[in-house]
Amino acid sequence: MPLLQHVCQVLYDSHVGTAIRESDYAFSVIESIHVLGITLLFGTIALLDLRMLGLVLRPIPITRIARAVFPLTWSGFAVMFTSGFLLFWAEAAKNYANPAFRAKLILLALVGINPLIFHTTVYRRVHEWEAQAISPWRARTAAIASLTLWSGVIIAGRAIAYF
Amino acid sequence: MSPLLWFTALAHSGLGHVMQNSKWSFAIVETVHLLALAILGGVVLIVDLRLLGIILKRESARIIGRDLSRILLGSLIVMILSGIGLLSEEALKCYYSPAFRWKMALLATVVAFYFTLHRRALLKADTGTPTLWARAAAVVSLTLWLGVGVAGRAIGLL
Repeated sequence: MPLLQHVCQVLYDSHVGTAIRESDYAFSVIESIHVLGITLLFGTIALLDLRMLGLVLRPIPITRIARAVFPLTWSGFAVMFTSGFLLFWAEAAKNYANPAFRAKLILLALVGINPLIFHTTVYRRVHEWEAQAISPWRARTAAIASLTLWSGVIIAGRAIAYF
Repeated sequence: MSPLLWFTALAHSGLGHVMQNSKWSFAIVETVHLLALAILGGVVLIVDLRLLGIILKRESARIIGRDLSRILLGSLIVMILSGIGLLSEEALKCYYSPAFRWKMALLATVVAFYFTLHRRALLKADTGTPTLWARAAAVVSLTLWLGVGVAGRAIGLL
């Protein structure tokens, strides 16, 4: 058995994993929190992306919006990561072989690389362009990549239940 | 025509047949519903936190409200259309579901509230410190929208 599959099986068989899986409400309640948490994470990221594309809030400089949504995005990330990990804990052995789950993990890795590139390149000179109604093409590309990848994460996440 | 007849007609419509017989059509429509939810929820959150004076304090609430209301309206339309698709898959179950009835009542309330009192609060609150009136509008809006979401999630669970 591959190591990762073994780890998944151990999590699946553990007390916590079994308790979440076998409880009448735990899984549904955690899943509902996970779904509603999407608004906090994706909603705030999408807003910044739409601003860079020049579609909303053009009079407001990028960094002001970024500063305003930053704590919300990170709270959303904490909620999503915690609830997501608990859901995985309960279903780990099944998720291991699930193609939608694998796709979701790959997309999550890519969606993490995107801001890394963005923040180390074009965002370093954000003060030169933050007031422009439409951001430079490299920022727009990052915004489109972010919107596409996050949508992909949501689509793949929803699809886990269908495999 | 009574609501029950509308629900029955929807269940027997062409849309209903497609949604009932294809697993993937339901999955796709549900995912669209979810994506629009993410946008709508994010917009509601930003607008109401601005009304509460928590974020973007120095920016005009009027501009934020005007710009984001367009996005809110767009995602609301997508949610209603995809919602009708989801409803057609199990229209009669929904008709008798208390969670569904709560969701529709809350949705009607929040939409009416959003385009009247909430809108007025946004227009009045420009860049000054938020009034009690603006804060109350934000709290009511957040509570009602959250209620719509929770009731919606409950349809599939109860």
